[in-house]
Amino acid sequence: MTRTIAKLLLAGTAFAALTAGALAADTPKRIGYVVNYGTHEWYQNVIKGMKAHAAEIGATVEVKDANLDVAKEVSAAEDFIAQGVDVLIITPVNEEGVVPLLKRAKAANMPVVLEGNPVKGMTTMVAICDYDTGYMAGVEAGKYAKDHLGGVAKVMNVGLPLLSATVLRSNGFMDGIRTIIPDAKLVHDLDGGGNPDRALEVSTAALAQNPDINIIYGINDSSSLGGLQAWKAAGKSQDNLLVVGTGGEGLAFINAMEKEPSYKIEAAMFPEKEGYTTIDAAIALYQKKEVPEHIVSPTAPMMGDDWKKFYDVAGTTRTPKWDAINALTPPAKCMKTAADLKK
Amino acid sequence: MVSEVSHPAGPGNAIGRLANNSQIVLIAVLVILCVGVSLAEPQFYSGANVIAILRQAALVMIVGAGMTMLLITAEVDLSVGASLAFVGVVAMDVINITNSVAIGSLAGIAFGGLVGLVNGFVVTRLKVNSLIATIGTMMILQGSVFLYSREAVQNHHHLAAFVDIGAGYVGPLPIPVIVAALFFAVAYVLLRHTTLGRYLYAIGANQKAARLSGIRAERLKLFAFVVTGLLVGVAGLVLVSLMNAGQPTAGRGFELTVVAAVILGGTSLAGGRGTLLGTLLGVLVLKVIDNAIILLQWNQDLQMIVPGVVLILATYLDLAKRRANAR
Repeated sequence: MTRTIAKLLLAGTAFAALTAGALAADTPKRIGYVVNYGTHEWYQNVIKGMKAHAAEIGATVEVKDANLDVAKEVSAAEDFIAQGVDVLIITPVNEEGVVPLLKRAKAANMPVVLEGNPVKGMTTMVAICDYDTGYMAGVEAGKYAKDHLGGVAKVMNVGLPLLSATVLRSNGFMDGIRTIIPDAKLVHDLDGGGNPDRALEVSTAALAQNPDINIIYGINDSSSLGGLQAWKAAGKSQDNLLVVGTGGEGLAFINAMEKEPSYKIEAAMFPEKEGYTTIDAAIALYQKKEVPEHIVSPTAPMMGDDWKKFYDVAGTTRTPKWDAINALTPPAKCMKTAADLKK
Repeated sequence: MVSEVSHPAGPGNAIGRLANNSQIVLIAVLVILCVGVSLAEPQFYSGANVIAILRQAALVMIVGAGMTMLLITAEVDLSVGASLAFVGVVAMDVINITNSVAIGSLAGIAFGGLVGLVNGFVVTRLKVNSLIATIGTMMILQGSVFLYSREAVQNHHHLAAFVDIGAGYVGPLPIPVIVAALFFAVAYVLLRHTTLGRYLYAIGANQKAARLSGIRAERLKLFAFVVTGLLVGVAGLVLVSLMNAGQPTAGRGFELTVVAAVILGGTSLAGGRGTLLGTLLGVLVLKVIDNAIILLQWNQDLQMIVPGVVLILATYLDLAKRRANAR
């Protein structure tokens, strides 16, 4: 009897090892990622999501940072192609720079997943729906303004007109808020550069000119926080103010939602999930499966303490609660895309 | 001894005469700007907007005081923007660790001073051109701040004294404006009314002659670098308080704004000439332009373009002034 059990265990172990081997053989081992701006918190968390998922399948992700330089991006991607990584992931610095790279990767028979921004000739891209993200946050902002701000919505948009993604967020926010408050007004449309000190500076002047602004929308967390800090520096009370951020890039928005009375809504974009989904796409391409051209990564507006459903925070580290994040259902199709801006 | 007071231009050189009266020109430009913007947008001269302009000018003015000294000695520091960000990250981190605004502030200011000391050492001892040396320091700081912290350092304790540094008021005046005024006054007295100030002008005008006169030029240049670094420390502290977090990405382009304001104020790139009053006017002109572009809702790309044009114009006027004085 004991001998039979031992034989069964041995056979089971051998089968498990063979199955694992077969599965491992079907997944990429080396993944190269050229990030466009690796020092940004968003991308740091995208990379965390990628590495976490890659570790689950026994793969490694090697990262090279283009630091917003197209030439550097091309060189880094060519290095990966020469090294023969199993899958190449690129967050494009700009479209033109990446088109020839896609051709070179195709010639080398290397699957490429794009993250964030579309490029002509791509196989697949993992990205959020920017317009929808802003729109959903706008709807929630409208509801809040109706209940707490007397139905008045005078918005200061701390935007970034340089990028179509951020323009879509701002447009979505205003369209969303107008579904609840039709006469919501965009009082100031600012270029905050996407960074906090620039956002602070431009917001200071706008708030001095229009003291009746009661909603600050930022296309990322740095922008909304820059706007809020300008508000505070002007010595104004936060009693009749609503601040809406976008991104949920790191700890900044959690800190703000916990400590700033006006910071009520965050259009969370779950960068770790974006990274996780990108690896899923890489596996699918490696296995030569059919993939959609745009794989949508989910976003959701968070109100108040909602962030606790999705993240654990210990000291300066936040850990995603994957069950909650994976339960989010992304839309099958974006309401609007960059192509709609050209119409 | 070289004086900051310019010699009169020769007759017939209108541009030279105009350049020699650069402060009067700047005051006129400032008045025209203010009147013009006020007519187009009456909110410009509201108390809130004037305070906003002054608060924005404060940061540039604090560092501009040190940069004026440096340029007068014919040196420059292009690492001030990168150092500003690093100071904020260090100060915020130390405040979080120690729960003490005083210790965090000292750490931030000391860090700024240390960067100034390193810059001064590289320029005066290793004889590396200050433009190159401080571009190098800027790159080192921009990279190493991310080794120190990949993310923005959040404010954990929300101490009232920390918030007040950037966002507090004494009466109607924001604390950053008062801080800037204090440092401006000290630097003004130092440059105008002390032997040390006169030595700085002498070094910039003719370092060889100054050295032969017994002035320890290298040591005084080192002093100017350290003072600039310490002032970056103070400005970094104000900025981190304003932003409520130590942001590694802050301060990009700040060095250009400071240098543009100082040169616009009439301080010569060649050294030996310049005034703090001119720097103050230069800062105000640039900040009023910045403010006006937002108030008038013009394309904000102009906020980069206009200072660029102003910088070229101011440098040309400086050249014209030197040519006129040489006649």
